[in-house]
Amino acid sequence: MTSSTATSVMTGAKAPAARPRSLMAIVLRDTVSQLGARLAVAWIGLLILGAVFGPFIANSFPLIARVDGRWESPMWRYLVPTDVVLLVVFIATIILCGVRQMTVPVKVGIVIWLLALVIPLALWAVLARDLSWYRHEYGTGLVVISLGVAFGLDLAVLVLVPLKLPLSSRQWTILGLFAAALTGILVLHPVKPPTTIIYDQYRELGRAGRMQFSLPAPVPYSPTDRLRDQPDAQLLAPDTRHWMGTEINGADVFSRMIHASRVALAIGFIATGIAIVAGCAVGGVMGYFSGRVDMLGMRLLEIFEAIPTLFLLISCVAFFGRSLYLVMVIIGLTSWSGYARFVRAEFLRLRNQDFVLAAIAAGLPLRSVLFRHMLPNGLVPVLVSASFGVASAILSESVLSFLGLGLIDEPSWGDLLNQATGQGGTFTWWLAVFPGLAIFLTVFSYNLIGEALRDALDPKLRDGASD
Amino acid sequence: MLSYIIRRLLLIIPTLLGITMVAFFVMGLSPGGVGGPLMQGAGGGMRAEEARAIREYYSKRYGLDQPLVVQYARWLNQISPAGFKSTGEGWPRTARFGLKLPDLGRSFSKGRPVSELMLEAVPLTLLLNALTIPVTYAIAIFTGIYAARKRGGMVDVTTGTLFLALWSVPTIWAGVMLIGFFANRQYFQWFPTGGLHDTLADGMQFLPGWTSAGFERGWLLDTLWHLALPVFCLSYGGFAFLSRLTRGAILENLRADYARTARAKGLDERTVLFRHVFRNSLLPLITVAAYILPGLLAGSIIVENIFSIPGMGRLVIDAVYTRDRELVLAETLIAGILGLLSYVMADLLYLVADPRVSYD
Repeated sequence: MTSSTATSVMTGAKAPAARPRSLMAIVLRDTVSQLGARLAVAWIGLLILGAVFGPFIANSFPLIARVDGRWESPMWRYLVPTDVVLLVVFIATIILCGVRQMTVPVKVGIVIWLLALVIPLALWAVLARDLSWYRHEYGTGLVVISLGVAFGLDLAVLVLVPLKLPLSSRQWTILGLFAAALTGILVLHPVKPPTTIIYDQYRELGRAGRMQFSLPAPVPYSPTDRLRDQPDAQLLAPDTRHWMGTEINGADVFSRMIHASRVALAIGFIATGIAIVAGCAVGGVMGYFSGRVDMLGMRLLEIFEAIPTLFLLISCVAFFGRSLYLVMVIIGLTSWSGYARFVRAEFLRLRNQDFVLAAIAAGLPLRSVLFRHMLPNGLVPVLVSASFGVASAILSESVLSFLGLGLIDEPSWGDLLNQATGQGGTFTWWLAVFPGLAIFLTVFSYNLIGEALRDALDPKLRDGASD
Repeated sequence: MLSYIIRRLLLIIPTLLGITMVAFFVMGLSPGGVGGPLMQGAGGGMRAEEARAIREYYSKRYGLDQPLVVQYARWLNQISPAGFKSTGEGWPRTARFGLKLPDLGRSFSKGRPVSELMLEAVPLTLLLNALTIPVTYAIAIFTGIYAARKRGGMVDVTTGTLFLALWSVPTIWAGVMLIGFFANRQYFQWFPTGGLHDTLADGMQFLPGWTSAGFERGWLLDTLWHLALPVFCLSYGGFAFLSRLTRGAILENLRADYARTARAKGLDERTVLFRHVFRNSLLPLITVAAYILPGLLAGSIIVENIFSIPGMGRLVIDAVYTRDRELVLAETLIAGILGLLSYVMADLLYLVADPRVSYD
């Protein structure tokens, strides 16, 4: 692999693009050059847009309205902290993607720094409002300690990350201005959605003739808007008002589908992230030390491979309660074994290579040898299984929701699919076709990307050998 | 060889210990604890002291008042064929060490011995899988060989993409769509909605035949008719994946030196394919077989729930909902044993299929 990498980099350097390309860049370019993978990336992009701009696309509250002669934007007023954080990070990422003179780790650093800035800014108003409730529920001590720890960690990230970032003073100025503007806006206009949400209030206002102007969202229904003002809105077939019909409680299916992409993507990315980190750590240590550590590690791997994941997932969720974070952690902790095997094999191969021996001989600490020198060389093949891993994590979440063990009151594709077959053998086709299609397309997309990555990584195919 | 098999079988034990330990402590450490809803349900309609008496009874009987480690040790002792046997009250003073019958305990929620419940459920799941595996392999090998022979042709290109798509179709979606469109009054009622037999199946003959009331499909055909949709649901992902694997392996082997030699000595392409290439292409199919069975067991959870088949998958969901510790542990144990045994089986099959492989 390494020798072919070197030749590819050399041929890449001879090409008109002149810039030397890393293996990662070449692999990504080859991947996206395939039609199937391109369509798959487009679908994932659509999902990401849906996840970020969900409240703008599907919302019961108008984007802009003029009520009793006063202009307002109900949509902005009802945004929750998650919406704001996602929006800011998305915009920052888009801007950073356009910047050329920074390396990827620096961009990731900036995004992490922004996250550390935005999360407390978006949360403070809601936290302050609900503080007495939290104190009543968990006790003052626990709340003070956990808030203190979270704030301390956040402050540490805010202070320490800039020290490590190699930015020019001009870049610092731009970033600082952006952060200052953001802080100003979020302090002056805190994110503080009303505690009681009455979805039909603007529909009522419209009917009463008190709303002179309104610009509704393209899909004028929130995912949890049960259409209380329309008593017979349950299980309506698709028509021009509800493009994908309504579900058992009367909520709009299309709106729920859009908002469900957030849960699906979050589970997919974060669970796979946890699995990759755990797999790399265990696999790396096993491969580097080999011998007895390897033997013990392999037994541990076998145990985790033999645990029936779905069994464990179902029992954990049923016994510990339904939480998004728990599901992420469990999927992550049960699926790292594949990555560990991969990284172990790579490290076993790498550990006797000259550059690693040189790093050890130079007296570098173990941390540096393992993670700065060996890991970047052994990481690219992990991308392939990561893509398949995201697909299976999304699938696991939808299976849980389908079995009625998913998140409560959160839109989910699996949950919608579960409602398709009702009591007494009724079958509601729009609740089966659309959510199922969304799960299928997402899983298919990640599988297509995984296949394309594998083809791009295969040196036999990349060097022009025919297949 | 024999020593290898024995060593592999013995290595199953520590892994099983690990698996059950994870399952046990997940349940034990959970808020609400084991049998939570059941005990609260029992306390719902009665006076406080009665509820407490019931809770005490359960605690004593299942040892729930003891530390988790002790509970786990007790459970292990209970299921192992050699261990301490209580001969009366006042455990462990009157316990004797010796051989005994392994006991999976009694289910909290169903009030029946777990082994009895498992004996009813496991054969159904195994029947489902026993039908699925041959179907999967037959279709996969057939389409894989066909695609490899007509490489680059219409069929090859279409099945290539189609099978990747089919492999990505979630079982939950396929199950719901099939039951909704093909087993429903509103659309086509070609198949039964669920269960394993018709209500009248007990009175039927075994084989289909003509009776006084006209054609009777018989017990066998009735069962197959009920199993058609579930087996399809369980198998399509497998054959889509395996077919692509078969195609890849055959193409690789067709290019190998020994295939060229076979052609050079004048064998026709058919003999080359089936006598030489096909046998070598079986190897990856066998290695993958190890991963098929555990996957099928997980798939059974979904399929059995959609098609109301009272197998292991149904039982595990029931058990988890009622927090039935003994039942969940037994399920985990049996699923673990089946999975690990299939790994061993795959290694042994590998040995049979490839004379170069040696484990000694």
